[in-house]
Amino acid sequence: MQTSYALLLDLAAELGYRMMCTGAEVYRVEESVQRVLQAYGVESGEIFAIPNCINVSLTDPDGQSSTRIRRIPSHDTDVDLLMAYNELCRQVCQSPPPPEELRQRMEAILHQRRTYSFPMYLLSWFVGAGSYALFFGGSLRDGLCGGLCGLAIGLCGRGMDWLHTNQFIRTIAGGAISALCALLLVAIGLGESVDFIIIGALMLLVPGLIFTNAMRNIMSGDLISGTNLVVQALLIATAIALGTGFVLSLAAAV
Amino acid sequence: MELHLSTFLPCLYAFIGGLAFAVPFNVHGLEVPLASLGGAGGWLVYLLVLPVSGSEVIGYFVAALAISLYSEIMARVRKCPVTTFLLISIFPLVPGAGIYYTMQYAIQGNSALFLNQGMHTLGLSGALALGILLVSTAMRMWQVFRRRSQERS
Repeated sequence: MQTSYALLLDLAAELGYRMMCTGAEVYRVEESVQRVLQAYGVESGEIFAIPNCINVSLTDPDGQSSTRIRRIPSHDTDVDLLMAYNELCRQVCQSPPPPEELRQRMEAILHQRRTYSFPMYLLSWFVGAGSYALFFGGSLRDGLCGGLCGLAIGLCGRGMDWLHTNQFIRTIAGGAISALCALLLVAIGLGESVDFIIIGALMLLVPGLIFTNAMRNIMSGDLISGTNLVVQALLIATAIALGTGFVLSLAAAV
Repeated sequence: MELHLSTFLPCLYAFIGGLAFAVPFNVHGLEVPLASLGGAGGWLVYLLVLPVSGSEVIGYFVAALAISLYSEIMARVRKCPVTTFLLISIFPLVPGAGIYYTMQYAIQGNSALFLNQGMHTLGLSGALALGILLVSTAMRMWQVFRRRSQERS
């Protein structure tokens, strides 16, 4: 019985860790892991997660308690994986499989993961940034330039990822490169408005749902997670401003 | 109120932008056009509310309500997390331009306009978050209400 509790703890922590790494909200992860533990008949399970750490603790029938802590590395949002783990949790809660099978299913999810190819990424950076340059009021030529700046941001981000640069520096670099490209494109006469080109390209960097999730956490009383995310959103916004601002003020001085 | 086709062109751009943003968030299948449609619809709501309310913040708030409601409904229809739709649909409302103009005033050393634009950007983000949270809280309350009333009967 004891080994099974140790195994359960490990699996629950692994599941929580993987869900956090797909960009799932803290409350979703806490709820899912709690439910999975309950499905296996563990009523003493406690979960506490903040955006970069998850703790799972449980007490076996002998009164021996054990805790597992997993640190969450910086990660992107992967909706496909999130949906797969979510579905797995739902199935486990309805009819819990033997722990070994749960581990196999978790591995299978990782192997069956669908991803987009690199050319698709290139296309998405170009189209995403370009369409938002148009959206904010740019001309068609601005849209084209926004797309090119988006490509520059995306490639720069990929390179920085490869070098394991942190998100703050990566965002500053992205902002700086997009401003630089926009100035160049306008200087050679292709682009018309530096503002619209940069704003469109910056949409690849902005903190989309982070601020909303932060407010959600704060309102539900998860103050640590909430303030953590608020700071994260403000840092990203500051990094964007620093990157673009640096280049633009240099250009103004020259 | 003049209704030109060009007024609604941004909705089309928001839709295309949404399709593109499915790639970095790794969204696949039918969820991609559905989520993008939410973004385009949300901006349409904003465009329609703006002349009535006269306030950008209220426009954002109502649009966030609409997008959030759409996402909650779609999540139940397609049986997947609300985030899938919300992540992409909300993009047209993310105040990227606000961050940019705030930065520009900071560079120019115009502290009055900087503070003004910064507060405005923060206000828009707040309206956005509040709109989404109101709908998701209402949805949760409705679920609990239904479960409770089922238990009683």
